[in-house]
Amino acid sequence: MQNEKLITDRLTIGYDSDLIDSISLEIRKGKIVTLIGPNGCGKSTLLRTLGGQLSARGGTVYLDGRNMQLLQGREIAKKMSMVMTTPVKTELMSCREVIEMGRYPYTGMLGILGEEDKKAVERAIAMTGTEAVADRPFDAVSDGQKQRVMLARAICQEPELLILDEPTSYLDIKYKLDILGRIRTLAKEQDIAIVMSLHELEIAMRLSDTVVAIGDGKIRRIGTREEVFEESFIRNLFGIEKADMELAGSLPWLPETESMEAHKEPHTKAGKPAVLMIQGTMSGAGKSILTAGLCRIFAQDGYRVAPFKSQNMALNSFITEEGLEMGRAQVVQAECCKIKPLSCMNPVLLKPNDDNGSQVIVNGVPIGNMRADAYFRYRKELIPKIKEAFDKLSEMADIIVVEGAGSPVELNLQKDDIVNMGLAKMLDASVLLVGDIDRGGVFAQLLGTLSLLSKEDKARVRGLIVNKFRGDRNLFQDGVSILEEKSGRKVLGVVPYLDVRLEEEDSMSERLSVKEVRQIDIAVIHLPHISNFTDLDVFAQIPEVSVRFIESSGETGCPDLLILPGTKNTIADLQWLKEQGFAEEIIKAAGAGTILIGICGGYQMLGRKVEDPEQAQCEQGLMLLPADTVIEREKVRSVYLGRIEEAEGNLQVLNGKPVKGYEIHMGKTTPYEDVHMFTSGKTGYCRGNIYGTYVHGLFDQKEIFVPLLSVIGEKKGVQIRPEETVSMDEYREQQYEKLAKGLRECLDMDEIYRILGGKR
Amino acid sequence: MSKKRTGIVFVLLTMLLLCMICISILLGSVRIGLGETVSVLTGHTDDATHANIIWNIRLPRALAAVILGGALALSGYLLQTFFANPIVGPFVLGISSGAKLTVALCMIFLLSAGKIISATGMVFAAFLGAMIAMGFVLLISVKVKNMSLLVVCGIMIGYICSAVTDLLVTFADDSSIVNLHNWSMGSLSGISMHDVLIMTVVIFFCFAGSVLLSKPIGAYRLGEAYAKNMGVNIRMLRILLILLSSLSAACVTAFAGPISFVGIATPHLIKNIMKTTKPQVMIPGVFLGGALITLLCDGIARTVFAPTEVSISSVTAVLLVPVVIVMMVRRKKEVH
Repeated sequence: MQNEKLITDRLTIGYDSDLIDSISLEIRKGKIVTLIGPNGCGKSTLLRTLGGQLSARGGTVYLDGRNMQLLQGREIAKKMSMVMTTPVKTELMSCREVIEMGRYPYTGMLGILGEEDKKAVERAIAMTGTEAVADRPFDAVSDGQKQRVMLARAICQEPELLILDEPTSYLDIKYKLDILGRIRTLAKEQDIAIVMSLHELEIAMRLSDTVVAIGDGKIRRIGTREEVFEESFIRNLFGIEKADMELAGSLPWLPETESMEAHKEPHTKAGKPAVLMIQGTMSGAGKSILTAGLCRIFAQDGYRVAPFKSQNMALNSFITEEGLEMGRAQVVQAECCKIKPLSCMNPVLLKPNDDNGSQVIVNGVPIGNMRADAYFRYRKELIPKIKEAFDKLSEMADIIVVEGAGSPVELNLQKDDIVNMGLAKMLDASVLLVGDIDRGGVFAQLLGTLSLLSKEDKARVRGLIVNKFRGDRNLFQDGVSILEEKSGRKVLGVVPYLDVRLEEEDSMSERLSVKEVRQIDIAVIHLPHISNFTDLDVFAQIPEVSVRFIESSGETGCPDLLILPGTKNTIADLQWLKEQGFAEEIIKAAGAGTILIGICGGYQMLGRKVEDPEQAQCEQGLMLLPADTVIEREKVRSVYLGRIEEAEGNLQVLNGKPVKGYEIHMGKTTPYEDVHMFTSGKTGYCRGNIYGTYVHGLFDQKEIFVPLLSVIGEKKGVQIRPEETVSMDEYREQQYEKLAKGLRECLDMDEIYRILGGKR
Repeated sequence: MSKKRTGIVFVLLTMLLLCMICISILLGSVRIGLGETVSVLTGHTDDATHANIIWNIRLPRALAAVILGGALALSGYLLQTFFANPIVGPFVLGISSGAKLTVALCMIFLLSAGKIISATGMVFAAFLGAMIAMGFVLLISVKVKNMSLLVVCGIMIGYICSAVTDLLVTFADDSSIVNLHNWSMGSLSGISMHDVLIMTVVIFFCFAGSVLLSKPIGAYRLGEAYAKNMGVNIRMLRILLILLSSLSAACVTAFAGPISFVGIATPHLIKNIMKTTKPQVMIPGVFLGGALITLLCDGIARTVFAPTEVSISSVTAVLLVPVVIVMMVRRKKEVH
């Protein structure tokens, strides 16, 4: 706790109305936190609130762990000082007098400076290089000198935290560098925590330890420079998606991964991207995986690639860093492209409800629930939205790989089609048709589909791919000839059944439904409304570990780690747990000291009760953690960067380890007794070997899963080899590379590039 | 460097003030020589008339000028700090006029009831009036952030109060009119030693209070935001500033009627002579300066057309308005 000078807890700021809410920030000793964002986004308001100039509209600011509202002005002044944007106007005050003011909280009743105070003033003057102007009138020195003097005043206050509101405005480059250099020295040498707002992004990029991006009435991103200074994000933050940046000089974002540098000649003229569309003869033909693989191949070859799917239907969505929802398949594909997932890659997302309708999400934002017939009538109106999203994406890519949906020849649905041929026409895409040989009838699939297409659409199909071939491909040589002869198109490849593990969209992966018990046994309760089960994917790479999804209480056995996963309906699943007898088993296992981790909905179940005021429902929880949950309508969707705070029990080894993940839940869980915090930022609590957290992706980092498995392994005498494991990010990366390699072996890439109109 | 300067200024001011006190005791329609005066003051004379003139008329008048002049300047300084604006003063903001109104009201009603208002009662009534006028100004200042507009509003409030006072005078009994008229013109005549005692107590309290506030006032010079950052309790400071300045201005008005311009001009003159705005030196400096100026003006008021006395406000206006104008012009320049 010592390192955190300032913590905000769900802080709401604003003057007459709420400007930004739920701000959770941590400002640490010796670190520089920079606020960036467009004019008027609330940077100054936030700084003024942190500095106590403006009272918070909600939430709390803790200074050195103490609620700032309860502190005396003088106590605060000894810990925190400020430098504001607007230069001060004084009358007949020398610079030294201004600086001496900083001693205010330390001097006596009449403000007479003692020896110690005088020394502090001299130190501050020396530190800011203001000796020469110290005895000159403050009004007569330049703005740059004034700023130095104001900085000296702030230093003189001997703060542990320094708040600066745009310390470099009004300054020329010389003073800009000078002031910023001094600020950095303060952080590094005096170990002062620094928060400041900056307009100059390039400087913020170089100077900051943590960057807080504010825009659209919320904190858009908090993270390291690398995490925030990303072209697409910065452009979006400042609303300059299409602006020509030439005038601004050096670019205010970090160069992206190698693919950008290796950028080859553009594929088509005038920056218009080449569009390749993968359509299947049926759903499940392998479009997603082929799209992902092609994305990675193009990225490997140095192109800027982006995936696109106009409409996705899936239960689980992904939350982008802007807090927008999109389909997970495009997330995987974006990762294959080595770019961040953006909601414009999947402008329409349908999430089926229980009752024969779907939640319709357009450009990441839910617009309502619709029944199928209503949606079919409505979807025409989505065409401009889709086009808009695609155009946005076009700005960022040389090649866009579009994934179709289902079959392009659902003849009854062809009117106003926005997912297959209708889309291909709109985007002027070259189409590759994929058939699934594993399910049989591949000739009928491919040739039949072609023959059902209109002449114009048929002309768009530039090649065929046979997917999921098992066995010796040479044996299918005749088949290829027949297909080519009958279709008049090249077969671009016969793709074997690839053993690649990608995050799958909805169904649970087969590998996770193993029932065998290995040396380290992880059991996950398969709740009826289970969601976001990717949390445990990281364990798939470790041969000693089995992850069992158990559906009936008899299967529980004696796992080393028992997981209560996330759910879309906590109360219903909690009732189910009790009905199935799981509840007793879990409580018994917890009593026996089994490590029990509840994630998201599972965490909510571990508490005393789960209350849904809107539905007037309240269900007693498992009473394993002293916390109550209230379900709220407002959905928390955010990227999480934190750490394990003060775990008890076996997971103590994880304390202080960084956690990267995301939160997506509706509800707030508050402890009613003193209990240890598990994941920082009040996102989870623990007691003994029972842990709960809202953070998904908790295990994904090597720093977490290796010590976790080691602790379990030690108990059982099992050795796991951490050097052979990788973090989830790396693991996925390996899989993408493997996929690309596999596809390159069987696809005629030269021909595909030719179809795209580019030379190799 | 600046310490030396302020030291010299203090010594000079004190010496000048002492000289002025002597001169003002010596001056008057009845000629009393220097030797005679000294012997009266040291108690070595039998001339009862002279002793009476000096002890009951001239000395109280000189002391009142010192104390009230100091108080007026102090009130101006505190208000200028409060509004962070050098062209405000108790007279400009209508405080003096407010005090005048309530005092006039009390005088008339009590006189008509056959009672005579006591000195403390006067101070109290004046303070009430001052606070009411100030209350109006503050109320407006919540809405109007523009300082010039605020000053104009203050002047308006002043006019309203004066108008009401005039109305009262018009309909008052003849006997009270004379009294009231003299008083409302601003005059230091007719102040007794007892009055001096009361004003000393009140003004000493205000002065001591201001000295104790000198530290936060100093921090306040950097603006509210920085002052807050240094741990100044802004709300408390502002309340105290208002109370102290109103009380001083009220006390002055109660005893001497409204005396204009001393409050605005003195702080300005003093800070330019001292070349500093440090409240630790400004507060005593302003007090001395105000005392000196008022004493000087009073001297002029009673000698220039002797034996007729001019109202002290006329003198202060003639002498100090140029100062205020120069100050406003300079301020205009700084803004551009």
